Amino acid sequence: MELSATSELERAIRPDVAALAGDFEALVRLYRPKVFRFALVSLRDLDAAESVTQDCFLRAYHARVGFRQDCGMQTWLMQIAVNLIRDQIRNRRFQFWRRASLTSEPVDVAGHRIADGARSPEAQALLNERVAAVWEAAAKLPERQRTVFLLRFVEDMDLLEIAYATGMKEGTVKTHLFRAMRAVRTRLGGTA
Amino acid sequence: MRRPSIEEHLSSDRLSECILGEPDAWIAQHIERCPACRAELGNLREALGEFRGAVRSWSESQAQAALAIDSRPPESHSWIASHQLALALLLAAVCILTSIVWHGGESAAPASDAVLLNQVDAEVSRAVPSSMEPLMKLVVQE
Repeated sequence: MELSATSELERAIRPDVAALAGDFEALVRLYRPKVFRFALVSLRDLDAAESVTQDCFLRAYHARVGFRQDCGMQTWLMQIAVNLIRDQIRNRRFQFWRRASLTSEPVDVAGHRIADGARSPEAQALLNERVAAVWEAAAKLPERQRTVFLLRFVEDMDLLEIAYATGMKEGTVKTHLFRAMRAVRTRLGGTA
Repeated sequence: MRRPSIEEHLSSDRLSECILGEPDAWIAQHIERCPACRAELGNLREALGEFRGAVRSWSESQAQAALAIDSRPPESHSWIASHQLALALLLAAVCILTSIVWHGGESAAPASDAVLLNQVDAEVSRAVPSSMEPLMKLVVQE
């Protein structure tokens, strides 16, 4: 079961840096799925996402003493992940393989959603189309817009958390988010 | 910020403000009174909500797939590999032994060949066949 950011475990861990150092495994268990998911949806590559996730926790482990607790644990980990993902995206070899994989085998992310029995097959198909449209629109967003969009709409982070994780000002985050939303809405068939 | 009239629909940024939460009061009022904007906002919210759900399901399935690959029992694979290796070694050993036996037989052959050649030489060098040799002795005595 995935725990929410305000779960009992996080509340128990957050106030004590010593706990962070002492029970790092618990942190990994709690946040690994989130970091992995963000890496996977950002990179769309399983191996690269696993690599980034491992690097993220390795760096967090080495930097745990310096964690100032001026943000939540998830936000801090996401900050590390955002930097690692940025490095990975700029890696020319990764760019080559990503281009190759995107052209050969598109990901059917909409197909992974469990069908809602309350919807008619037509309504479900329409919804799948819309999910696929958002997925495609997100892929075409510039890097920063995509990062902000995914942190907001996949990871449910608020503007302040996103600002901390990305190192942007809150207003800049909002601007990127609005632009991303415009692109997504256009892809969905609305008017920007 | 210019407020649109009731006939004018909300822009993408105004709809985004609604989705991000805490829209201005006039935007909320417009949404209440404008069915088109309300429907647009509902569709956008639903698409983003489903997108989140789909991405999370996909991520979980990918994580499980990765876990399945990592936790695949290595014993069966190594068992097959070790048996294949043992079989290959056995075949190699058989080949080597066969080769040694074969070449060993070949090394004994020259000696027997030499004996045979000497016999042939002896037969060829006879003046008459061996069965006629007694007759030849009588002729010589005469």
